[in-house]
Amino acid sequence: MFAPCHSLSFAERFTRLNWFVPALVCLIAAIGAVTLTSATGGAFAPWAARHTLRCAAGLVVMLGCALVPLRVWMALAVPAYIAALALLIAVPFAGAEALGAKRWLNAGGLSIQPSEIMKVALVLVLARLYGVLPQGAASRPHWVALALLLIGLPVVLTLRQPDLGTAVLFAGIGGGMLFLAGTSLWYYAAGAAGLVALLPVAAAHLADYQRKRIEIFLDPASDPLGAGYHITQARIALGNGGASGQGYLQGSQTQLDFVPEKMTDFIFVTIGEEWGFAGACLVLALYAALIGVLFAMALKGRTAFARLLIAGVAISLSVYVVINVAMVTGLVPVVGVPLPLISYGGTSLITLMVALGLALSAGLEEERETLAGGRR
Amino acid sequence: MRDGRCNEQTEARQFTRRALGLGAGQVAIFAGLAARLYQLQVLEGTATAALAQGNRTRQIAIPPRRGRILDATGEVLTVNREAFRVVLQPRRVLDAGELRDELRRLAPLVGIDRDEQERLLLVAARYGRERPLLIAGNLTFDQVAALEVHSLEFPFVSVESTWARTFAEGLGTKASAMAHIAGTVGAVERAALDDDPVLRVSDMRIGKTGVEAGMERELRGIAGSAVVEVDAHGRQVRLLRETAPREGRDVMLAVDAGQQAHVMERLAQDKHQGCVVAIDVATGEVRLMASLPTYDPLALTGAQSRAAWVALSADNTHPLLNRAIAGLYPPGSTFKLVTALAALKAAVLDPKEKIECWGEVTIAGHLFRCWNRKGHKVSDLHKGLRESCDCYFYEAARRTGMDAIAGMAHELGLGQTFNAGIAQQKAGLIPSRSWKRFHSRTGWLIGETLLSGIGQGYVQATPLQLAVMAARVATGRAVVPTLLKHNKARPAPEFAALDIPPAALAAVRRGMVAVVNEPGGTGQSAGFDEGEVLVAGKTGTSQVTAVSADHDLNRAVKMSERDHAVFVAYAPASAPRYAIAVLLEHGGGGGANAGPVVRDCLKLLLDQDAARAKTPAAMGRSSAGAGPNAVTGAPG
Repeated sequence: MFAPCHSLSFAERFTRLNWFVPALVCLIAAIGAVTLTSATGGAFAPWAARHTLRCAAGLVVMLGCALVPLRVWMALAVPAYIAALALLIAVPFAGAEALGAKRWLNAGGLSIQPSEIMKVALVLVLARLYGVLPQGAASRPHWVALALLLIGLPVVLTLRQPDLGTAVLFAGIGGGMLFLAGTSLWYYAAGAAGLVALLPVAAAHLADYQRKRIEIFLDPASDPLGAGYHITQARIALGNGGASGQGYLQGSQTQLDFVPEKMTDFIFVTIGEEWGFAGACLVLALYAALIGVLFAMALKGRTAFARLLIAGVAISLSVYVVINVAMVTGLVPVVGVPLPLISYGGTSLITLMVALGLALSAGLEEERETLAGGRR
Repeated sequence: MRDGRCNEQTEARQFTRRALGLGAGQVAIFAGLAARLYQLQVLEGTATAALAQGNRTRQIAIPPRRGRILDATGEVLTVNREAFRVVLQPRRVLDAGELRDELRRLAPLVGIDRDEQERLLLVAARYGRERPLLIAGNLTFDQVAALEVHSLEFPFVSVESTWARTFAEGLGTKASAMAHIAGTVGAVERAALDDDPVLRVSDMRIGKTGVEAGMERELRGIAGSAVVEVDAHGRQVRLLRETAPREGRDVMLAVDAGQQAHVMERLAQDKHQGCVVAIDVATGEVRLMASLPTYDPLALTGAQSRAAWVALSADNTHPLLNRAIAGLYPPGSTFKLVTALAALKAAVLDPKEKIECWGEVTIAGHLFRCWNRKGHKVSDLHKGLRESCDCYFYEAARRTGMDAIAGMAHELGLGQTFNAGIAQQKAGLIPSRSWKRFHSRTGWLIGETLLSGIGQGYVQATPLQLAVMAARVATGRAVVPTLLKHNKARPAPEFAALDIPPAALAAVRRGMVAVVNEPGGTGQSAGFDEGEVLVAGKTGTSQVTAVSADHDLNRAVKMSERDHAVFVAYAPASAPRYAIAVLLEHGGGGGANAGPVVRDCLKLLLDQDAARAKTPAAMGRSSAGAGPNAVTGAPG
């Protein structure tokens, strides 16, 4: 489609990177390390230290991915998706069970979580699909059906693991990217209607623990020491933070172990208790800034693939943050979604770093196009 | 190519539109999240911060140290011994299965057998997980040491130090002599919401019987409280603030344990079962309250306490019963004091009037016997009291009527309990016509008046009441007994005068002097030697079973069917100091067997007073030895 042009050298790519992204990532990850230190009783080692190391490694991975030319990623999109899908299908047969759910594959001493690979692969494959579709084709029924199939397969497979959080994430990423690709809004209306109609059916197929979570979400006070404990304690801790917080390492609910999962999914509660409404809003603002930077990059993208890839990464980051914060503030039921870059946990951190690396790489495409445009 | 570029641009424009829309949506969602945080943290923050406070802190009642019980000389009778107990903090921690395992692992360390483990599981199931569970009290030092060594294996088990109530060591016979008065403590069975919060402290002990229960409020003190910071597992992290408890106050009894032990030995000498109650008539202080058989109170707090309880409860001589306040007996002829005063007050009888007695009398178609089968020929009040002529009192009772007799009985302290600082008093029974109507289909019969008039039939009284009756007759005042010694903080009360004509009282008192001191008197065995203090008294024989005509005397009768010997008295007759009631179960006639006990007890009290009067310093000592805590007086 375009006149071939010389590729940017590594040095050129490196200097032309959108450095706002790694800067914001470092800032948020640093907040993560500081908060983890508090959540583990004021000790940097080992949890916060490990988190810092992982973030550093993730940063290297991100920059590495950013330096790979976008066409490589474009070429990898479909094979990556197929591979991720195959692994997801393999999980129920060969997966390792943990806490009642099969989410992991063990391959030669490496444990892989296929749904994590799928998070990147889904963004890639959807960007790839709409990258080749001609203008206006996005609303054609068969293309919509293909897109829905690409989204629906991982959603169904993760639901069966069962992993509601990831399934919601896939659905959110898919829905967002379809929207950006220009799919007619009537499909959304029809989809919403269909969802409402399917709600009772879905309710019947929910696992017991998922049903329990939803019941507890609707009335946490019904079992304050049991299943509603997470929500109740999270609310108490957030309220204890008030406007300006209890102070670093002073959050009594966090320090005295009342807040559950305070290192992982509920870490935002620790921030809210120790730094108050102000601190919580600052963290939200940092995420919003990162997402905003990504969207700005997407808007400048010259190819549909690049735009959708960057936007897809922004959407997945946004879905993570929104679901996690809505969960700890009791707006949605408790689903296992970490707070990106802050929650302790390796796999999703690396996945996110890879995704951001792809976005950065796609952002460089814009730079190249501008250079190329000069010659057109 | 151009089309492509054109499409490319429209596509990019559409993407921009949609991306801006999505961006706007995201901004809205983030604003929504911020609004939610504002609501939770700022608007509802104060309310939830209070919840957080409740989450993190816990208020614990600190039980006050129980006041001690001292005897009249200041000798400490009951003390609090430090004891170690092991408690499981079960809050949100263990389910029933885990608790079972935990107990099984603990069993060899603290010595709890299978049955005890099962019992603890039941208790845990009943009280839920909110309350700490007492696994074992009274740990030995070895057990405490073993638990400390293994403390890491039992994170939810803690050893606490508490106070166990026990009698002081080394009291010898005084301990068992004072056991009934001091009484016992036990676990709180039920605490109402508005009760003292300290009652909900696990292993809290409160008075159950005796002075321990009667003076509970003074002895218990006021609980302190501690606010501790706890973590989510209920473990105490640190103490935030503490209000010290106000320790219970010591209670000093009016009884001298040494004297009491002496009296016990005197009673035991003759192998008597029964009791002695002596009251200081001026102050109402109970100076003796001995009840036999008794028990060793140390056995009830020792290692084998449960077995000791079982054995004592099963003993058919009822050693746990304080007969002086909870033993109900027909007062027998001692009740004739009531009948006489009632008749004189009602003016239906002149003290000089002579009534015939031929051993039996027929009233309302029924035959009533006098104890003296030969009869007393003619009796006036003096002779009637002196020789305890039944016929005289049948006639007196008939003329007076039951309601007036019952009124006089109440006036003299029968049929009621006293605010004496001791729990488990029985009220006894003074029958009346309305009582009979209420409890029985038949109406009151005249014969019942006659039987009641000589202290038989339905009439029942405790030895304490009989002593009070003697004190009230002696003083003409409404003496109220108290187990507690009077002191400066609580001076002896001024007792109100009784509503009885002085002449009537004088006539009855003369009769009581005659009982002990005149020839023919039934209670001469209680008299002191010539020239010594004059004793006034009244004998009684309370029938255990109905006596038929040929059921002569008490010699050949089985022990359990022999009558109780009763004796009430006061001395000195001219200026009464002490009133006394002696009851010997199955002791036969009152005069013969109870009289010597009356004499010895009165002598003991009066001699000691005389000795104290000679050495005034000794008197001061008794109240000075009260110990560190304030000595308290009677309730009310």
